[in-house]
Amino acid sequence: MLQDSGFTDVLIGEAVDTFGGAKGENKARAFEVYGYAFMARRPA
Amino acid sequence: MAQELPVDPDALREQVRGKYREVATDPGASFHFHTGRGLAARLGYEAAAVGALPDRAVESFAGVGNPLSLRRLEPGEKVVDVGSGAGFDSFIAAGQVGPGGQVLGVDMTAEMLAKSTQTAERLGLGHVQFREGLAEALPVEDAWADVVISNGVINLCADKKAVFAEIFRVLRPGGRLQFADIANGRPVPAEALRDIDLWTG
Repeated sequence: MLQDSGFTDVLIGEAVDTFGGAKGENKARAFEVYGYAFMARRPA
Repeated sequence: MAQELPVDPDALREQVRGKYREVATDPGASFHFHTGRGLAARLGYEAAAVGALPDRAVESFAGVGNPLSLRRLEPGEKVVDVGSGAGFDSFIAAGQVGPGGQVLGVDMTAEMLAKSTQTAERLGLGHVQFREGLAEALPVEDAWADVVISNGVINLCADKKAVFAEIFRVLRPGGRLQFADIANGRPVPAEALRDIDLWTG
């Protein structure tokens, strides 16, 4: 979707266990939900 | 042909606003996600930067990652924080860009805006300001930003294409989008995608 919107040079960081130990952990585990950092650039 | 969205954007927005109103006014309550200093440590924020902030700047933080983990901001950069909440990421960004930079936070929840604005005033951060607005209609002029950041917000927007188009508009050519968000490794059933309660809970 980022590239469809015109962004380039997309980077994705390591997965982070955002919901581990929180009340929402079970739902997160069911769908393998993790947090990620993303970076992309608007072309010059 | 109009894009078909899984849920009504206005209804979702109201649900999100209600949830984050509570995070702003009662940050010690129990949520399905972590909040505050414990969450910031879990997500790998620099301890010294977080430790320098007062509780009111951190306690309502409810991000899902660290948008600045892939690249540190440079002094003097102009930054837009989409869905700035109580301002945590904006204040971290403000420390990185320094007084020669600017940080503009945008949020749709009045209680979050009041909290972030008061915190900026108390900290004497003249290069940080907050405005009311939506991710799909940012109150920012074209090509103003060197960097757009966001944390755990885009997944809560029904029309993600509209959000990315708006971010593209406010970035200068060559500017960067740095955001954190959740992604699922297993497909979510279509009926669950249409259940608005599951988007925020």
